[in-house]
Amino acid sequence: MNSATRARLAAPRVVLVMALVAIAVAIVWSARPHAETQAERVDRITAELRCVVCQGLSVKDSPSESARQMRDLVAQRVAEGRSDDQIRDEFRASYGDWVVLAPPLASWSGLVWLVPLAALALGTLVALGRIRPAPAVAREPAPADVAALRERAAREEALDLPVDAR
Amino acid sequence: MSRVLRAAVVIALASLVVVLVLAFRRAPTDIKTGTVGRPAAAFTLQQLDGAGTWSSSNAQGKVVVVNFFASWCLPCKEENPALVRVYERYRASDVVFVGVLYQDSRDSGLRYVRDNGVVWPTMSDDDGRVAFSYGVFGIPETFFVGGDGVIAGRHIGPIDEATLIRGIECLRRSPTGGDCLRASAR
Amino acid sequence: MITWADLGSAALRAALPLAIWGSGAAAYAAAKRDGRALASSRWAALLVLVLVGLAIFAMEGALVTHDFSIQYVAQNNARETPLFFTVISLWAALEGSILLWTLILAGATAYVAWRGARELPRLSTVALAVLLGMVAFFCLLITTPAADPFVRIDPVADGSGPNPLLQNHPLMALHPPLLYLGYVLFSVPFAYAIASLILGEGGDRWLVATRRFALVSWGLLGVGIVAGSWWSYAVLGWGGYWAWDPVENAAIMPWLVATAYLHSVMVEEKRRLLRTWNLSLVIATFALTILGTFLTRSGVVNSVHAFTQSALGPMLLGYLVAIVVLSVGLLLWRMPRLADMGGIGAPLSREAVFLFQNVVFVAATLTVLLGTLYPLIAEAISGAQLSIGRPYFDRVEVPLALALLFLMGIGPQLPWHGASRATLERQFTTPVLAAAAAAVLAVMVGVGGAFPVLTYALAAFVAATVAQEFARGIRARRVLHGEAPADAFVSLIRRSGRRYGGYVVHLGIVVIAVAVATSQAGKIEVERTLRQGDVMRVGEYDIHFTGLRPVSEPQADKVLALLAASAPGATTDLRTVTASLVFYPNSTQAVGSPGVAPGPRDDIYTILAAYDAESFSWATIRVLVIPLVSWIWLGGAIVGIGAVIAALPPPRQRAVVAGPRRVPLSRHAAATTSQAVPTPPAARSREARSGDTSRPDVTRPDGVEP
Repeated sequence: MNSATRARLAAPRVVLVMALVAIAVAIVWSARPHAETQAERVDRITAELRCVVCQGLSVKDSPSESARQMRDLVAQRVAEGRSDDQIRDEFRASYGDWVVLAPPLASWSGLVWLVPLAALALGTLVALGRIRPAPAVAREPAPADVAALRERAAREEALDLPVDAR
Repeated sequence: MSRVLRAAVVIALASLVVVLVLAFRRAPTDIKTGTVGRPAAAFTLQQLDGAGTWSSSNAQGKVVVVNFFASWCLPCKEENPALVRVYERYRASDVVFVGVLYQDSRDSGLRYVRDNGVVWPTMSDDDGRVAFSYGVFGIPETFFVGGDGVIAGRHIGPIDEATLIRGIECLRRSPTGGDCLRASAR
Repeated sequence: MITWADLGSAALRAALPLAIWGSGAAAYAAAKRDGRALASSRWAALLVLVLVGLAIFAMEGALVTHDFSIQYVAQNNARETPLFFTVISLWAALEGSILLWTLILAGATAYVAWRGARELPRLSTVALAVLLGMVAFFCLLITTPAADPFVRIDPVADGSGPNPLLQNHPLMALHPPLLYLGYVLFSVPFAYAIASLILGEGGDRWLVATRRFALVSWGLLGVGIVAGSWWSYAVLGWGGYWAWDPVENAAIMPWLVATAYLHSVMVEEKRRLLRTWNLSLVIATFALTILGTFLTRSGVVNSVHAFTQSALGPMLLGYLVAIVVLSVGLLLWRMPRLADMGGIGAPLSREAVFLFQNVVFVAATLTVLLGTLYPLIAEAISGAQLSIGRPYFDRVEVPLALALLFLMGIGPQLPWHGASRATLERQFTTPVLAAAAAAVLAVMVGVGGAFPVLTYALAAFVAATVAQEFARGIRARRVLHGEAPADAFVSLIRRSGRRYGGYVVHLGIVVIAVAVATSQAGKIEVERTLRQGDVMRVGEYDIHFTGLRPVSEPQADKVLALLAASAPGATTDLRTVTASLVFYPNSTQAVGSPGVAPGPRDDIYTILAAYDAESFSWATIRVLVIPLVSWIWLGGAIVGIGAVIAALPPPRQRAVVAGPRRVPLSRHAAATTSQAVPTPPAARSREARSGDTSRPDVTRPDGVEP
């Protein structure tokens, strides 16, 4: 192709690339870490603790009295400078692992975190395996294949059906 | 679909079925205990009748029955006569009964205590910390603490006379409670 | 005198043997091609519907007349219950819900039985046998103590009334019926799939015959789920709309798989591929609806919807196991006949994208399934009790949802069979630019966090692709037919309803995605204890606490917290909002009822957390300002509208078509496999004559399009 065509094709390509770069920059910029305030830290910890009198709500979400008292306790411990693990352990000592709303990564139960990744990976592999480029040259089919195909076509056409307009 | 994949799918489905069948063995209201077997947390609370504070060290070395209650709790009212009867039975001994008011105002609590003949020390857990340290799920809940200060058992829900007596006797015989006390719920 | 209980019980007990008879008759009719057996089976299906309808009538009659000699009425109704909630308490609890399920199933079965007016093709006959078998099972459920709604007791003076949470919002009228319609109507595609496997023809008839059923059921389920979210938001009083509660998960799993199915079905129709996969998806969707019902009703997992435990659990589990074993067995047996002809050639083709989309949907469903069941598994194995809740599900499902948004944008834009680089650049330049604009705008406005920004970018991407498609379609119609843009728009929707309805559904999903991202990221929450006359500042509003007021109503006592929201510093009130705590006579603790002031920009959500019971001097109020949350319900409505557009049959063609238009399979197969297969001359001449009855297996065109 000549240079004019090349230039014409290049312009939208450049725009496309710039747009993709802009998106990437925006995402990275919005993902930059910022110092967590104490209130945010309390929110984060209480979001992972289970309200003991509710059916599955977190301490952060629940408006119940018990949840409020738990939030106050967490806030006090955060102000005292305890670590996240210490605060969680305090509740786990009283209520067991049940009170934490997601299994910690570093445990046998932590394997549940891998489930979606494993499912995706496995599925993608299977899917990619099914995408086989068509052969460049059409082969002449074997007579057995043709017969099978005909038999199948006959079977399908046996139950007639008006094909959908689309 | 390869044979391996087919077999994997069949195995996965079979395990799902097995899990669901096993699930029936579990009663959803059965909550495992967190604090049973651990030392009971020390606490000091203001008594409801204004007679000062009560500290858990007052009951050191003795068998303690800790009952969490509130005035708005109907089952607490139902279980109260049993508590009163058992208290009377062990009044002369060194078994200590303690009532902790949970998520309620002091005035309501005091009124409840007066109206229902609760004569053992009662106090208010205003910020809920004592309830948390014991691992209270909801009231009424009763804890049995042995002479060694370890929580030997708990009962979730209204307790009856027989269970109370069984718990107390068990702890009087062997201060560590041992195997005679387990978690129970009703 | 016949009581309601007598009527209802008798009707149900008569329906059970009829359903069994009907199922057997249909099976016999299919095996022996016996027209009389078929007729008797069809009448049985109709009669079963009438009988179950009679039972529903009896139950409603009992509820409305407060007949407390029936246990269900005594447990779910009280004299003070208002008429509206009395009528809808038909589905307030387990037995009534199963009865409703049975009605819908019987209705769908009767429809299948009578849709093909004079005769019924073999496929439909076998499907009818399967459906009647299912109806028989549910009739069995509701005539045994497991779920019998007409159990009699000694009449009590007054009933306990419905669960307090179920009688304070009109959405209770919509959510369960919609959900059940969505669940139950999926039985029809499943029955046809099983019929197809039993008959072993390996074709696509079952799929095309039930395409609309699948779409309608998917749409109803989706709208039902959104209605449930809305109800949960308005009633449960925690300010959220989705908690990954086991019952919520039970509803969304079949919906996810059904969405995957609706898309991969298109690949089968266009390219005759993925047959085994589509059959598996239908079986999985149906099995998940039963699993969902089992999880909800058996009590094996705790949940907000805590329904009572009953003997229903083992029966449903048995049913589920039977279904899974039978269908998987049939599928494995017939798999050789289902081999694909040809394959997916290019990774950048619509069918490849649909395949990846299916992978993501199935991964999402598996994750939800395992997350919901994991606590059960762990406890069964090691006795340990754990919880898996929002922190897990949110973190894991959001990236998957974003991947789906992305695929939703590129899928419809890629042509079948593959795209060239030039095509890609042409199609995607504008959408990518739109995405970039959205991302940059979001960052400039100060949106925090990568996930919201990514969501906005993808949403703009998808919206731009949809707009592009509509623009192209309208332009094409203007050029070809000279229609004005508005007319062109209407024509597009009516003639290619499936395609453009699909685009409308995608738009609805985009609206939901944006609303969810914004409502999560921008939520402002403040809780404070106030005295009368105090003002608290929440986000851009001043919330004035006017006072507490106790109120006595016939069915409950309430304590209202009167609040008003205004702009900061202003004293002219914008909106009044009332949160309350409701005390029902038969429950020990109060039920919180939130006060919600919805709005196009944000909702003001107020909760009365605690108050001074002695002198009403103070109250602890929690206020949330949640941006764009009402757009979620709007998005759900758009999805529903899109489903309706896609399901509507196209207008009749002007030109007369001689006989049913058929694409000869042999020619089509050749096109897709790029192998030259000569069509035998005998077959071709038969194609020219339509409706040839000299061949075996032909009864009539199988036109069971609803």
